[in-house]
Amino acid sequence: MHIRSRGVMLAVASVAAAAMMAVAALAMAALWLAPIRTAGQAPFAGAPRTADGKPSLNGIWQAFTTANIDILAHEAQPGPHPETMGVYGAFPGGQGIVEGNEIPYKPEALAKKKQNFDNRMAVKVTNDPHRYDSGDPELQCYRPGVPRANYMPFPFQIFQNPGEILMVYEFKGAVRTIYMDPHREAPSENWMGWSNGRWEGDTLVVDVTGFNGHTWFDRAGNFASDALHVVERYTPIDASHVMYEATIEDPTVFTRPWKMSFPLYRRMEPNVQLIEFNCVPFVEEMMYAPLGLYKPPSR
Amino acid sequence: MRARVLVPLAAVTFVMVWAPVLVAQAPSGTKSFDPTTIDPDAAIKAAAEAAKAAAATTNWTPPRTSWGHPDLQGYWLLATYTPLERPAALKDKAFYTEEEAIAAFRKAVESDAEVDPRTVHYDWKEYGMDAWQAGAKPNLRTSLIVDPPDGRIPPLTPEAQKRRAAAAAAARARNPAAGVQTFGNLYTRCVLGLGATPLVRGGNPGAESAAAAGGVTAESQIVQTPGYMVIVTQSNNDVRIIPLDGRPHLPDNVRQWLGDARGHWEGDTLVVETTNFNNKSPATNFQGSTDALRLVERFTRVSPNTLRYEYTATDPMTWTRPWSIETPLPRIDPPLYEFACHEQNYGLINVVKGTQIREVEAAKQSQSRPANPGSRADER
Repeated sequence: MHIRSRGVMLAVASVAAAAMMAVAALAMAALWLAPIRTAGQAPFAGAPRTADGKPSLNGIWQAFTTANIDILAHEAQPGPHPETMGVYGAFPGGQGIVEGNEIPYKPEALAKKKQNFDNRMAVKVTNDPHRYDSGDPELQCYRPGVPRANYMPFPFQIFQNPGEILMVYEFKGAVRTIYMDPHREAPSENWMGWSNGRWEGDTLVVDVTGFNGHTWFDRAGNFASDALHVVERYTPIDASHVMYEATIEDPTVFTRPWKMSFPLYRRMEPNVQLIEFNCVPFVEEMMYAPLGLYKPPSR
Repeated sequence: MRARVLVPLAAVTFVMVWAPVLVAQAPSGTKSFDPTTIDPDAAIKAAAEAAKAAAATTNWTPPRTSWGHPDLQGYWLLATYTPLERPAALKDKAFYTEEEAIAAFRKAVESDAEVDPRTVHYDWKEYGMDAWQAGAKPNLRTSLIVDPPDGRIPPLTPEAQKRRAAAAAAARARNPAAGVQTFGNLYTRCVLGLGATPLVRGGNPGAESAAAAGGVTAESQIVQTPGYMVIVTQSNNDVRIIPLDGRPHLPDNVRQWLGDARGHWEGDTLVVETTNFNNKSPATNFQGSTDALRLVERFTRVSPNTLRYEYTATDPMTWTRPWSIETPLPRIDPPLYEFACHEQNYGLINVVKGTQIREVEAAKQSQSRPANPGSRADER
């Protein structure tokens, strides 16, 4: 093509440049609109979906509440052994996660909750089931159970498939499999219970039974028995937030079912991963020294 | 004995004598049991047939997940009777014939099912937890180790020999104040299970209790998502989360019991590289290695119900050269169960107390006896 003037040349060049930028912009938009497939990429508004059309809960999530200290509203506290721990051991205040800020205990169960609180630091290791008579199971690095695992101050990761959803908690590497298809009957009593799930629209509903009655809801002594039945609802509201709600039912402990709810936040740091929190070695001196069974290793 | 038509198993020429297979009469109100879980002969026959079917599958392409990765998902058995190292008597023999493989398998199963009444033992068979009851299969290989070609762990470096001698000397020194950490191995303490990194340790039931116990609770669960492979083991419910997006390892100063794993696909094989192991002292690291261990595992689904598992272990501070294993993992039925080891570790108290008592006895004995070569104090 014969260029008549410099002005035309510039015009042609800028049209070409604009066209290239438009193509590039379209490509970028295509990338942004593509469904998110791996954790660690920047999310966008609108929850991503898996190949079977369900909202994708894949990724690393964490609650930001103080519910692990007390699921009811509470003020800040010095915590255990302030003479040694100072601020390291202090507990912040929080507004609680329980609907109505009340747990409907039966009178004898409320007395047990108070007893739990008074004995929460008691460590009485035995070689029989009496080792569970008192003391917060979290203190001894026991599995936290459900729903407590979801509001521990640690992240957890969800791996979602149509047949099974696997949840791995950084705390102690505790795991639970949510059986989606087929459902499976609880074979025995477990610390983390036994979970069967289904989708109701865009909400993951998980029915948890098969608890062993040894888990607490928090460090304040709130507890349930092995008759505990938890129904969880995970509802994504955008790519980075899931609203979590759990209905708690235990006719031996409570006069009626009650609910808790809080948001789960997606951990967004690039290359974020769970870091091992294997707390068994951290509690061996506490648990076994009183029995004369602990000797620190010499290195 | 019932007269039966012997089903000809192609190329297998030995004759199996059929005793009547009894289905156990379970207590009333419960279901009856699968014969392969209560009768070693039935288990051996079923295992041989399954192994044959798996071996006959060639040029098989695994199905894909919905996002296009080879599908390795499901539940897989980690227990095997194949020893890690080739028995010395077999010298350079890397493979059995089919007949020999079945015979070796039979011998291992029968020895596993028997229990020496003179020992203090756990009869895993009564709980359906022997490896042959869980679905362990025969293997044509005489050892898990395929490289070096002699099927044995390579020689130790001089540094590793010194470490081992020092550990042996420390073990000989009597320690009446033995405690949980100085006594207990990581499994007894419920810190780690019997095999997560790597997954398979090799079988030699009857050789030592830890190896025999490695045949039990040997199930694993593999889950895949577009960005991850996850392995959960039945033993201690150890979990390995393996990112596949090419991210770098954790920084060098962050060390983990199970190391830090990164995976990528090479064709239909998932290659997993694990580094950042911690120093497990006073317990020992894997096969006496150091925290510099680098483990490269390979997962390939070679037939509908078989996963080929390989690993190469490299630690220049321990072995003069890397070494590699290969073993088939058979598919098993779900589910995995919760393994709340530490929560219910009643036994640890008794085990440690017992050790303390033995140590005190041994200390008294070596005091009352003059030390001379061959005395108890000099024994390993």
